[in-house]
Amino acid sequence: MALLELKDVTAGYGDNMILKHYNIAIEKGKLVSLLGPSGCGKTTTLRLIAGFSEPRTGEVLFDGKNITRTPPNKRNFGFVFQSYALFPHMTIFDNVAYGLKMRSVGKAEIAKRVPEMLETVDLEGLEKRYPRELSGGQRQRVALARALVIKPDLLLMDEPLSNLDAKLRVKMRVEIRRIQQELGITTIYVTHDQEECFAISDEVAIMNNGVIEQMDDPQRIYQHPKTEFVMNFVGFDNRIELVCEDGFWKAKDGTKIEAAETLDAPEALAYLRSDDVELASWGTQAKNSVPGTIDVKTYLGRRYQYNITTPLGTLVARVEDGSGKVGDKVTLVLPPERMALIRKPQH
Amino acid sequence: MQNKRLFAYALMLPCAAFITLFLLIPMFATFISTVTGTGAFSLDGYWQTLADTYFQQVFWRTIRLSLITVAICILLGFPAAYYVARVAKKKSLFIAMTLFPLMTSPVVRSFSWMVLLGKKGTANTLLQSLGIISSPIPMLYNEFSIVVGLVQLFLPLMIISTVGVMENIDEDLMLASNSLGASRTTSFWRIMFPLSVPGLITGSVLVFCGSLTAYTTPQLLGGSDTRMLATLIYQDGLSLNDWTAASVVAIIMIVIAVVATLLIGKLARKVNPAAA
Repeated sequence: MALLELKDVTAGYGDNMILKHYNIAIEKGKLVSLLGPSGCGKTTTLRLIAGFSEPRTGEVLFDGKNITRTPPNKRNFGFVFQSYALFPHMTIFDNVAYGLKMRSVGKAEIAKRVPEMLETVDLEGLEKRYPRELSGGQRQRVALARALVIKPDLLLMDEPLSNLDAKLRVKMRVEIRRIQQELGITTIYVTHDQEECFAISDEVAIMNNGVIEQMDDPQRIYQHPKTEFVMNFVGFDNRIELVCEDGFWKAKDGTKIEAAETLDAPEALAYLRSDDVELASWGTQAKNSVPGTIDVKTYLGRRYQYNITTPLGTLVARVEDGSGKVGDKVTLVLPPERMALIRKPQH
Repeated sequence: MQNKRLFAYALMLPCAAFITLFLLIPMFATFISTVTGTGAFSLDGYWQTLADTYFQQVFWRTIRLSLITVAICILLGFPAAYYVARVAKKKSLFIAMTLFPLMTSPVVRSFSWMVLLGKKGTANTLLQSLGIISSPIPMLYNEFSIVVGLVQLFLPLMIISTVGVMENIDEDLMLASNSLGASRTTSFWRIMFPLSVPGLITGSVLVFCGSLTAYTTPQLLGGSDTRMLATLIYQDGLSLNDWTAASVVAIIMIVIAVVATLLIGKLARKVNPAAA
């Protein structure tokens, strides 16, 4: 049974409902991420689970019990804020001890557990400092320590690494994952950074406009996206419309397109990553060869990106060969085994 | 680059000149006049004044009433500030209402209080008709009416300075406290209140110094037996023509105000080490 469930939840602010008939189930011990663009509802969901807001309709269930009306201070969930929300007028020690004090834990035990937790997050010796004296990375770890020391049933993290520089983000996400697995604590993690999310999650829920487009482990989402939105999100940036004719897929201009995946539908969308598109000299004959003219050339460092006008529309290719020039005629080869197919959505 | 510096100084010059000419020089001249009354430099004027029992009465009354005003402004101002900063939907409306007393003339304000607090005034008439009192109680031309007038005048300052501080307190702090197990009330006293104290302290400095040096309110709402320092200066100077005595009192008043500001500032830093 899932540890935490949201059933048919409708929630939002004022007249604006961000989540509509939203459902999600989180399993014990897993790190589940909510990933999506700004405004998709991931933070709304997290705050709902914390109890900071109540849904208009629907239920929040924890371990089978209905906690929809339970106030946040009775839920025993640890929350790490994007801004860390450390109490500026208290020392690091008092900040971390706060939750324990609220639970009437004895002084002696507090004096033992707080330094232990600070050691776990690699911050020994900083007990007497104030938040304003610490760096961003250190404050982040204090926020984490404060949430974990109370031994919460659930850890909720709201874009905890967004305010850190790139290098620190990579280092910290490894730390967070390590601690999470060590303690075996069920964690719900909100982020808009796809790489970070895929690196540490057991499961990812990709959200868009208040709905979950796909919820799966990172590999399956990356390799087998199920909706247009997810395709775009994980980097499938070439989109080709196909119709089924005489048992074969055909593009707009009649070109026969082969795909390794099978799909039983009259119409479909084929998606291909720009990394997988092959660039060949003009006139090459191969499976799925498409003629085109180079429109834009961009230098990306490791590769070059070419935007190419073709009879199938504009296609994007990223290759290491930088010899192409704007205006050149080239042939694109679309490897069938790299194409992902989905049904054409009826709008 | 030098030009930028000179330009900055040049911009400041008119204002600095104005303050020097019309504030610093007269203050200095006043001070000089108090220590050279009999030709040579002597602080006799000060010793005489400080030893005078009438002066001491007025002095302590001024301090006492100023402190009472500060206390009342804190008690009334803090909840009001909390409401305006965290609860009110139409903030600008409430801020306008708060500042309203400052926009009316002090004379008009004081006359309004006379109408309300006089022997035949609104308050007395109402209390008598409700049977709470049998004969009118003196609510005017005494310490009570002075404090009422001072509170009305300075409460806006307390509210505004506290609202400013409260608005800058991150909302997530209260939610964090909540999520860690603290009830709304506990969160308020442990988080919101300590972080609002700097606002109360700034407000207290303004209210104290304002009350200490207030003239119009004690003059119009106080009696001849309830003088404060500023009205004493007026009495010495314009009624008794003793400008030296008036100057001495004025200098003493300025010194007290400066000392109070410094002391309260020190206290502020102790209470909340997080305040810059």
